[in-house]
Amino acid sequence: MSRDSNYDHHISIFSPQGRLYQMEYAFKAASSSSGLTGVAIRGSDSCVVVTQKKVPDRLMDPKSVTHVYSITTKIGVLVTGMFADCRAQIQRARYEAQDFRFKYGYDIPVHVLAKRIADIAQVYTQSASMRPLATVCLIIGVDDERGPQVFKVDCAGHYLPFFAAASGAKEQEAVNFLEKKVDDMKEYSFDQTVRAAIMCLGTVLGSDFRGTEIEVATVQGKNGTFTVMTEDDIEAHLNAIADDADA
Amino acid sequence: MGDSAYSFSLTTFSRTGKLLQIEYALNAVANGRTSLGICAADGVVIATDKKLSSTLVDTDQVCKVEKITKGSGFVYSGVGPDYRVLVRKARKSSQAYYRQYMEDKPVSQLVKTTAGVMQEYTQSGGVRPFGVSLLVAGVDGDGTPRLYQVDPSGAYFGWKATAIGKNYVNAKNFLEKRYQDDMELEDAIHTALLTLREGFEGEMTNKNIEVGVVSKSDGEFRLLSPEQIQDYLDEAN
Repeated sequence: MSRDSNYDHHISIFSPQGRLYQMEYAFKAASSSSGLTGVAIRGSDSCVVVTQKKVPDRLMDPKSVTHVYSITTKIGVLVTGMFADCRAQIQRARYEAQDFRFKYGYDIPVHVLAKRIADIAQVYTQSASMRPLATVCLIIGVDDERGPQVFKVDCAGHYLPFFAAASGAKEQEAVNFLEKKVDDMKEYSFDQTVRAAIMCLGTVLGSDFRGTEIEVATVQGKNGTFTVMTEDDIEAHLNAIADDADA
Repeated sequence: MGDSAYSFSLTTFSRTGKLLQIEYALNAVANGRTSLGICAADGVVIATDKKLSSTLVDTDQVCKVEKITKGSGFVYSGVGPDYRVLVRKARKSSQAYYRQYMEDKPVSQLVKTTAGVMQEYTQSGGVRPFGVSLLVAGVDGDGTPRLYQVDPSGAYFGWKATAIGKNYVNAKNFLEKRYQDDMELEDAIHTALLTLREGFEGEMTNKNIEVGVVSKSDGEFRLLSPEQIQDYLDEAN
């Protein structure tokens, strides 16, 4: 009995209150370990993910430091959390997407991929032999039937469709910012979506950026591909935001 | 399921003879959003509170009430990700049944299979019980409407009306007062909405609840559309 009350901190079993401690600790690890904040917004025909680009050491090759990955040509993910877990989850997501394509002959829809990743994450919360992955994924893509989609998949295997979502260290502040704008977002053009996401990150972190300090990735339109924005394009958007602020 | 690294069950008897993991799982269910069901003379209704953590969530695409076979559906209270596993297993077993017998799997069979799965997870090595209670609504092959509740232990019972999740005690008392054996489906839907509203935090709208209905007349389980829910809510006011 006394073994039980401590055991629930070690593996995925219920605590007396009905909570899963391992899952809660995984959440903590996911939000605090990388120190990054991620924001995703869904506009009228496109979606955007934004996060900071923190290169920890000047000797590191900046091109290799990224938290934004494509899963297929049309679906991309922003993962925050423990980096190795992120990589493992991305690999699995890519495999699942290709397996779907092979089996069924068409590209995996965003919501199906999100559900699959979430279901895999759930297994780790129920099996004793594997710990949950300390990651939170923001998945974006444009679906043929449903339009632009943003899904958030967390350590517990929850997955929900969002108009706008945030993850990571400053998640709550970002959510507060986004909630104020959610009604307008459905009409946002591509540029508006990008700028809203960048502004959200800027407000939450309380600083201005240069093009080299943030990563922006987008999917624009039904035929759009998942594209990581170049530094020049990011600078252009930052300048436009600054101009609007001055005007 | 059942990892070789953990060939022993995590759900073991305490000194007093209790299976604590199951009791804790029931606590997890009691923390979940309220769901309820009413079995009327000519149909069954199940409903749930779909209130989500933020206005940023696209509630139109979130589905808690799920159709399993033509004539049956599930709703839950508790841990959402665990529920999805049970829905998938239930749908797969229903398809396997159809493939073998060319007939829809009856609700009573569906409940037996699902409850069996939940029980396995309380006894197998290396896994924990499911943190959900299910309400299963359906019309059996002989046309009788049925409502079942399945608990994390795998125990299941048929109910005339029941509630699970937060506030279930008050909801059940409310249902006991209002239930009548000869109730019709329309009355049942009304009563279900009234009961849900009793314990609802904030304003209940057609967007933050889900209602599933199966009627004896056509034996088809369907979700009420937001417009239909709005009609019922207007009548209730």
